[in-house]
Amino acid sequence: MLGYTLKRLLRSLITVFVVVTLVFLLMRMLPTDYYFTEEELLLLTQEQRQDKLMAAGLLDPVHEQLFRFYKNLFLHFDFGTSRRIQSGVPVMQLIASRMGYSIRFGTIALSISLVLGVFLGIMQAKYKDSLWDHVGTAYTIFANAVPALVSYSLILIIGAKYFHLPSMYSIRNKVPSSIMPVICLALSSIAGYMVWIRRYMVDELNKDYLKLAQIKGMSMKDIMLRHVLKNAFVPMAQNIPASFLLTITGSILMERFFGVPGMGPLLAEAIGSYDTNVVQGLVTIYALMSVLGVFLGDALMCLIDPRIRLNTAKEGIR
Amino acid sequence: MHNLNDKELDIDAMPDKKLFSVVPYELEEAERTGFSNYSYWGSVWKNFCKKKSAIVMACVFFALFAFSFIAPVIGRFSYSELVTDNTQIFISPNKTYWFGTDNLGRDFWCQVWYATQTSIKLAFIVAFFECVVGVAIGCLWGYVRELDAFFTELYNLMTNIPNIIYMTLIALMIGQSFAVMCIAMVCFGWMGMARNVRNLVMIYRDREYNLASRCLNTPLLRILSKNIFPYLTSVVILRLALSVPRTIALETTLSYLGLGLDINTPSLGILLRNARSYFVDFPYLLLFPAAIVSIITITFYLIGNAFSDACDPKNHV
Repeated sequence: MLGYTLKRLLRSLITVFVVVTLVFLLMRMLPTDYYFTEEELLLLTQEQRQDKLMAAGLLDPVHEQLFRFYKNLFLHFDFGTSRRIQSGVPVMQLIASRMGYSIRFGTIALSISLVLGVFLGIMQAKYKDSLWDHVGTAYTIFANAVPALVSYSLILIIGAKYFHLPSMYSIRNKVPSSIMPVICLALSSIAGYMVWIRRYMVDELNKDYLKLAQIKGMSMKDIMLRHVLKNAFVPMAQNIPASFLLTITGSILMERFFGVPGMGPLLAEAIGSYDTNVVQGLVTIYALMSVLGVFLGDALMCLIDPRIRLNTAKEGIR
Repeated sequence: MHNLNDKELDIDAMPDKKLFSVVPYELEEAERTGFSNYSYWGSVWKNFCKKKSAIVMACVFFALFAFSFIAPVIGRFSYSELVTDNTQIFISPNKTYWFGTDNLGRDFWCQVWYATQTSIKLAFIVAFFECVVGVAIGCLWGYVRELDAFFTELYNLMTNIPNIIYMTLIALMIGQSFAVMCIAMVCFGWMGMARNVRNLVMIYRDREYNLASRCLNTPLLRILSKNIFPYLTSVVILRLALSVPRTIALETTLSYLGLGLDINTPSLGILLRNARSYFVDFPYLLLFPAAIVSIITITFYLIGNAFSDACDPKNHV
């Protein structure tokens, strides 16, 4: 068990290492002109530019740059300073200042959708084939099929027109301006949990162990909560840690749509303005989070369901 | 056999005509042993037709699809001749401008339908190639043991980097156009399908009939295409159908972020992006594109689900 865990952790770390290296090399493939703002390109002469690049160590052979990058990463977890987004600010500091927003929005939305999704799913299974069930199914189909951008826009119109909520996030007006972003984030994940819980509960209704429990005299409610829900929860548990960890990375679309200064748009911004150090920092964090999330998910699944053992769990493929 | 003894007594006394008589052909009796007029695609079609809602959805979808090509023709303005006109901005839908005009005073009708065409075309092309690449790689991945570790690592590696990074890098290094977008989406979209197929192939790979085929030295390609692929159809079709709404959604997101199609190719994402600041005051700028894209994605989603149910041999009689 311990051996397996270690082996797996090691392999995950190798994956992260390769990802980080790949992105580093990809970013080095960009022409060096991109390292300057347009203003600088006009003002600086060719020699001045070369001097600047030289000073930043960007003209060294790639393997030397790579080695320096590894050294900073492994010894100090340091990605250098941002060049374009906030010139001179250390990357980690920049990321930390953005991370708070994404985590706050993400965890609130995720908690709401877990509670609501599971509850609504149970209700749907309980009143199967009733009007309520059909409304729920229609909702899940809508949330699954319609592009997020369209549903965000609809929410925006309804919220702004009828409830007079601010259409952009602002720090001065935190609570009212956070309502719509949270609803948008929760919308699709509620549907995901609903579908899963409903389908699982309906499938399980014909199983033998359920009949046995009924014969023993358990009430239907007890059976549903203690047996069926617990079983339905096991595969869900695998994704929960990853979902919580990935809130850090934020939602690009939501944050761009409502102007939330979170992590999501930062990556697009960083790539768009060729801020290589920021990109590397972000990618490393993304990769670490997703690897760690999968790992914690498997661990949580084992905790909830003692029948599952890690070494027999689907190895290698996630 | 059990009452043979009773009859044995009179058999000799009977004439041939009484002993043998012509049995009329009965379909039911004939089917009881061996023969069956079961055909896979026939049953699929029959099952699919049983679902009235799915048929209606399919009709709605095809009508809309056809209309997206007719609409720009019957419209009063053609897309290539649109001009910005400050006096004509934000006109609500009327007789001249059927869907109103946008913030630059351009007719919205032809933009919306042109964008619909673009989205549907993109979605179909991407879904088709994703499916081809995904199934091909998935089969190899699942069947050839030596390749398993390689593809698994490749999969883990690729899914670990957010899609948005690939898309941004491609947009910056190669440029933005319809073809680039298609290729990029296929390049990073086949993985889900491949993984799904791989898991199924692993299940069927070591069944006895495949062992027999291997013993008889059947070529790999033939085993994959004749022995294994038929089992995959329902999953493949479901994935294919679901990838259409997904592709449309991804396109709108990417175009909204400025990483998708170039601004000269109107697409739903770009329309919504341009209208973002004016939605609240001029809701028609959102409602028309939103309604159309919702109809397309929802109908396709439902058709896909119904069709994959029909494809599942477990649901066949």
